[in-house]
Formats: sequence, C-alpha cells, structure tokens
Amino acid sequence: MTDFLFDVIATELEDAVGKENCSTRAIDKITHSVDYFWLSRMWADRGLRMPEGDFIVAPKDAKETSAVLKIANYYKIPVTTWGAGGGTQGGAIPVCGGIVLDTKRMNKIYDVNEQGMYIECGTGSIYKHIEWAANEKGYATMHYPSSLTCSTVGGFLAHRGIGVSSTKYGKIDDMVLQMEVVLPNGDIIETSPAPKHAAGPDLNQIFIGSEGTLGVMTKAQMRIYEQPESRQFRGFLFHNMTDAFNAGRELLQKFKPSVMRLYDEAETATLIKKIVGVEKKGAFMNIAIEGVKEMADLEMKILLETFGKYGAEDLGSEYGEKWWKEKITFFYPGHMMDIPQCFGTMDTIAPYDKIEKIYWAMKEAIETNFPQARFIAHFSHWYEWGCMIYDRFIVDGKDVPQDPHEAFRLHQEIWNCGVRTALANGGVVNDHHGVGIKLGRLMKEQYGPAMQVFEGIKKQLDPNGIMNPFKLGL
Amino acid sequence: MQFSQKSKEHIDSCRFCWMCHHVCPIGNATGLERNTARARALGLSLVARDAIEYSEDIINNVYECSLCGGCMKDCVTGWDPVMFTKEARLGAALDGKMPAYVEKLIDNIENSGNIYGLKEIDGVLKDAIKDLPETAEVVLFIGKDGAYKTPEKAAMAVELLKKANVNFTVNKYEPNSGYDLDFLIGAADEAKKTMTETADVLNKMGAKTVVCYDPADAKVFLREYKEYGINLDAQVVTFTSFVAGLIKDGKLSVKKSDKVLTFQDPALLARDLEETEPAREILSACGEVKEMLLSRKDTMLAGNLVMNEYMPKVMQEVALSRWINAKNVDAKVLVTASPAEYALLNETNDGSIELVTIEEAVLKCL
Repeated sequence: MTDFLFDVIATELEDAVGKENCSTRAIDKITHSVDYFWLSRMWADRGLRMPEGDFIVAPKDAKETSAVLKIANYYKIPVTTWGAGGGTQGGAIPVCGGIVLDTKRMNKIYDVNEQGMYIECGTGSIYKHIEWAANEKGYATMHYPSSLTCSTVGGFLAHRGIGVSSTKYGKIDDMVLQMEVVLPNGDIIETSPAPKHAAGPDLNQIFIGSEGTLGVMTKAQMRIYEQPESRQFRGFLFHNMTDAFNAGRELLQKFKPSVMRLYDEAETATLIKKIVGVEKKGAFMNIAIEGVKEMADLEMKILLETFGKYGAEDLGSEYGEKWWKEKITFFYPGHMMDIPQCFGTMDTIAPYDKIEKIYWAMKEAIETNFPQARFIAHFSHWYEWGCMIYDRFIVDGKDVPQDPHEAFRLHQEIWNCGVRTALANGGVVNDHHGVGIKLGRLMKEQYGPAMQVFEGIKKQLDPNGIMNPFKLGL
Repeated sequence: MQFSQKSKEHIDSCRFCWMCHHVCPIGNATGLERNTARARALGLSLVARDAIEYSEDIINNVYECSLCGGCMKDCVTGWDPVMFTKEARLGAALDGKMPAYVEKLIDNIENSGNIYGLKEIDGVLKDAIKDLPETAEVVLFIGKDGAYKTPEKAAMAVELLKKANVNFTVNKYEPNSGYDLDFLIGAADEAKKTMTETADVLNKMGAKTVVCYDPADAKVFLREYKEYGINLDAQVVTFTSFVAGLIKDGKLSVKKSDKVLTFQDPALLARDLEETEPAREILSACGEVKEMLLSRKDTMLAGNLVMNEYMPKVMQEVALSRWINAKNVDAKVLVTASPAEYALLNETNDGSIELVTIEEAVLKCL
C-alpha cells in the first residue's frame, strides 16, 4: 500500500469512528497483535513482532461498525475483530494486517430487564461488568469461565464459550436471546426476537462460533438468573475415572448440578493438591448443586446415594467450597502454565461411549510421540449424553527450543498429534476455545465435504474474504 | 531504558495476563486495549528485550495510568503493575524523554509549587485560615488539589476543626508534599528533594500531628517518605480517621439525619493506606450508609487531577462511570474524601444525586 493510499484510508476510517478512535500508534498495533495464543506469546517473548494491524479502529456502535466494514470492503482490506484479546486460539490476531476492529467502545449496558430476565448490552462489554450490573439488581449471569474478567460478551459469543456452571445453565449459546450483527457488506441485522423458534434456522447459531469470519456482533441480550437460594458443594474422590464417568452419567439422568468437574489423577496430584489442598490419590470430582434449598437438599441426597454406588469417597463440602473460591486463582501467572513452558489445552467433547477412550488415546499419543511432554486433564462440562475433556500438554522450559521457529514447529506437531487422535476416536476439533488460526487446518479433517456448508455461507456473506482471514479454516 | 530485575519479573508476568482487565478505571473509560496493565507490560517487555525503542508512543502509554492500584489489588499472585509503571516513568525522566505535558507540570511545580501553575489560593480558604496561629499541636495539611481545586471544601474542613475546638493551624505557605512529583517521575531526585524540604518545613512547625486533608498527601507521607528515609517528626493521620476520632471522643456532636449516603472510597486511602472504616463511622453518625458496587479496597477510581491536566476527557469518563454505580445503589447523597474525586465528580454531576465532601456531610449534621 502506498503512503498516499494509506492516508486516504486512514482519513476515511477517522471520519467513520472519530480521529481519536482510529490509531496507527505502535503501542496500539503491538497490543492488538498478541493474544493468549501460545505462539503469539512465544513470538513476543523471543523479542519478535507478531503480524500487526495497520489501523486500529474502535467503533462505538453498529452504525460506525457498518461504516468501517463498508470502507474495508471497498478497499478490500482485511478486518480482524478484537474483543479483549483473551482468546487462546489466535482468533483475534490480524495475521494479514489491515484493520483491527476493537469492540470495547461498544460497552454500553442498555437495559437490565428484570421482566424479560436479560441484559441488553454492547458486545464490547467485559462479561464481568454485565455480571456486576446483574448483581446490582440482585441477579447473576451464571456465566463463570476463568476468563470472566478478561473477555467481552462478543468474545465469548464468537468462539462459543462456556463457564463452570454449564451443566445447569448451559453454554453461551444457551444464554443469548437476540443479537444485532453487522454483516461484512455493512448491513445491520437483528436476529429473531427470541431463540428456540421454528422460523427457519436460528440466525444466532450461524454467528455464534463464527469467530469474526461472517460479520461483527455488536449488541446482545444475555440471560440473567435469580441468585440461588442455596449453593452446596461436595467433593469426591474416585478410585478411577471409569467409575467417575459412570457415576456422572447416572447422576445426569436424575437432575442437573451446576458444576461438575472431574480431575484425572495427574491433575488431582498437582493442581488440586496445590490450590484446593486434596492430598489423597485418585480422581477428584467437585459437584455444586444450587437453586431452591428444599430441592437442593433433595438433590444432595440423590448425589450421595448415586456416587456412593460407585465407591466414591465423600470428601465433604470443604474442598468444593475452596475450589469455588479459588476457581479463577488457577489462571493467574504463577499458578498457570507460562512461558518458557510450551503448553496448550486440546479441549474436545464426545458422548460417554467415546470420551474415556479419547482421553487414553490422546494421553498415549502425546506421551509416546513427545516424551518431553506431560499430559493432564479434567472433565469440566457435563451433559446427559457426554462430557468434554480439558486436556493439556505441558513441555517444561528446558525442553522448549529457544529458536522461535523450532519452538513453533514443536508446538504445531504436538497439536496435530493430539487433535488428530481426538478426531480419530470420535472427538471434535475443539469444545469451547474455538479454532482461530491455531486449528483452522484441522477443520477440513473433521468436516470433510461438510465444510462446503461453512464455505458457502462465508462466500455469500463475505465475497471479498475480508473478515478475519485464515481463521476457522475459511 | 534499564529496568530493575524486580520490574522485569513483574512485567513478564503481566504481559500475557488479562485477569485485571475489568478493574482498570482508565481502560473501562476509554475502551482502549492499550489502557490495560497487560498492554503496558507487553510494550515494556519488548522495550526490555530491545525489540522496540522506549519511544514517545510507549512513554505516553506509561502516563495513561492513574496508579490507582486496582490491578494490583485484583492480582491474587501479587504482581504489581504500579511498581513497574512508576519505574518506567522514572526511566523516562532519567533518559530525558519526559513528554512535554509532564515537563510542563513539573515546571509548574518548580515555579509555583503546584501542577496548576497557580500562585494564589482562593479567598474563601485564605479567609478561613488567616486567623489560625503560626504553630499548634495539630497541623492540617490541605494539599494542592484541595487548596487550588476545591478551596470552598477545604475551608469547610478548617471550619469543622474549629467547631471541634482542635488546637490546630494551617501553614499559609504550605509546601508541596511531593505526591504530584512521585506520580509523574517516581523516585527521581527532584521528588526526593521536594519531599525533604517539605519534611523540614513540617518538622520546624513542631506539631505533634499532621492531619492530611487529601489522602494523596497522607499516602506519600506514610509510604514514600519512609521508603526514601525522609523523617517526619509528627504523627501523620488522615482527615477521615481524625474526624472519626473527634466524633468518637464527643468533640463533635453529630445528629443523625434520614439521608441515605454512599461513600466513594479514595483508592489511595482504601488500598495504599488500608483505611476504609473511619469514613463509614463518620457517615453512619450522619445517616444511613449504603454500599455501592466496588467499595472499600475494591473501590474504583473516580478521578485524578494530575491526569486531568493532560487527559481531561478521559477523567470525565472515569467520573461518569462511577456515577453509574452511585445511582444504582439508590443513595441520595454521594460522599467523597478526596479533593480530586470531588472535583471531577462535581464536574460531571447531572444533579440527580447530591454530591458532598465528608466534612460537608458532618457540618450539615451538627
């Protein structure tokens, strides 16, 4: 791009969003080039610059977003949408340069609607802020991922995020009613006024999980819930994971707890020991039950009876309460894996008939092919039909090449090995972190010819291919 | 720019961590990614690796922080963005790379003793202190924000101590505590020199107690002076704790009203000085106290007058954000204990809630 054309585009963008909201400052480019993706972090750690946007723009609403996308389409400039940058898959990295569209000025909370039980907000709102808004009126969003404080509403919608209370309250796609979306051509649309309808496919579900490749979500109505009268915790220690899966499956045919988290023996002996204080060997499982006290009491009785049948040791409420209190502590620097380690979370999901097989297959594949790697896992989102594995590989710093290109290669090889093993055994590319640039290449391996459905939608909505190129395998 | 080993460690821990994103008053006000502790750390980590220069652009980013400590309070591990931000400001000063707007403020301090470049305090405050003795057991230290930006309120503080028959005075040529310099250039020689001179003035006054009207001054007296080995003979107390003591000792007879009050905890008071209860004791004597979202040590900054000199629009947004919390708690009166926060909240007040300073709240109930 010539300097002349650069200035032409810069002034048009400034006109669209205001001069102070269109930046070409180095600090803005740098901070929008590194997200939570290990490769971007490693790159920066080695003193290298990641691919950067040329223009960092921050529209305040759908109208300004529309103006930006029209400019981008006219000049055929890539647009990468950035929420807060807390994604692990490199989905917000502007790999082709162009425009980075930061949504955080769209952070207005328009309405805490106690009648309709939702909050209408800009998608640039940090989720914790809408939780605060709900709390101020005596409600809660019940969306409690570890990234609650670091991520935007739009960010969670973009990769179909999930929180720790998912078994009772669902994933982010269960928590959204209506959305406002700006299409790549600049048209502003609204999805249907309510979900779960028969007026054709659900438009929400086309954009949720699309990772900025099909448009920009600018406003959303997110559900709120009454605070539970009672929230009760119970920790258990299973002899093995097979018993835990069987117990969990049986429990879910009877009622839905809010939290269900099973840690494999390796995580029980490391993370759970360190943060929660469980010293015993086995597979730790934490259950939370919540709602009306009378019902919660009854559910607790059923829980104890059910898990007792599978030989689970009842550890009482103390560890569970400690876990709830510390649930975000796990993710602060000093508690969480960090550079110089090489690490990644290969979250996948499958029905109960496959999930344990996937776990053992992935563990064997990683540990056999990469003896320098440790493999640990927990199972944190449970449904009546199956659950997900939050499995992580960790390579200690001494075994990670200092050369960035070699480190890059090692990272990619481990990911290929792990995800392909999951796919071969009935899993999916990802459960709730998304695809981004990290896993795009594997999407076709999962979907085969079904990928043309996504490609067709992409081609129709974004014929110039400007929206978040090279993400989601599109 | 050379960082200390300690700063490097904190920078590297914060550069890839987003956990405190939600508590940054500046980031919340601007919606800009660069206004986060992690963004500042990422930029500085690249500077430390010589991957980028410590350029004007990066330095400007270092000055877009209020040093309120919200991020530090939020961090369960104990990483401290305030520490490395102050060190980066010191580095800019030592390298001769201070932004022009910072140089201007420092010049103002040198020429007039305050960042505003003002030489005369307002008549109301001048009148309030004119009859006070040269020396007394207690010195009320007004501070520069109080003297130049909220002089009517500072005069009320004087009036309150008079009503309590406190043996006190105010230095009519009150020196600068050094808070502004510490904010702008950290532990630079100029800041230490100012603090030493101020300590000499206060020591010569021979008071037993220095009561700081502004928590910012109390903070530097109690923390930075000690850190730099600058001796203050008198005991330093905050205005809020002093007034709470006067009420407790029966020196101020406060009649409880039916007003519902909420308190804006100054970050420097609640976090740096760990003082949250005296203000509540005072206000409980005046009416019913309702806590707004983010109170006590979790407080959210409502304004900083140093930053207001170079980021006024952002400071307005910061104050406006806090008004939302105050309104949501259904209080009728918002009470402040920091001149800076009063000034900025007052500037953005739409009138739906009454805004008063803590001395004003007490005076109304005498």
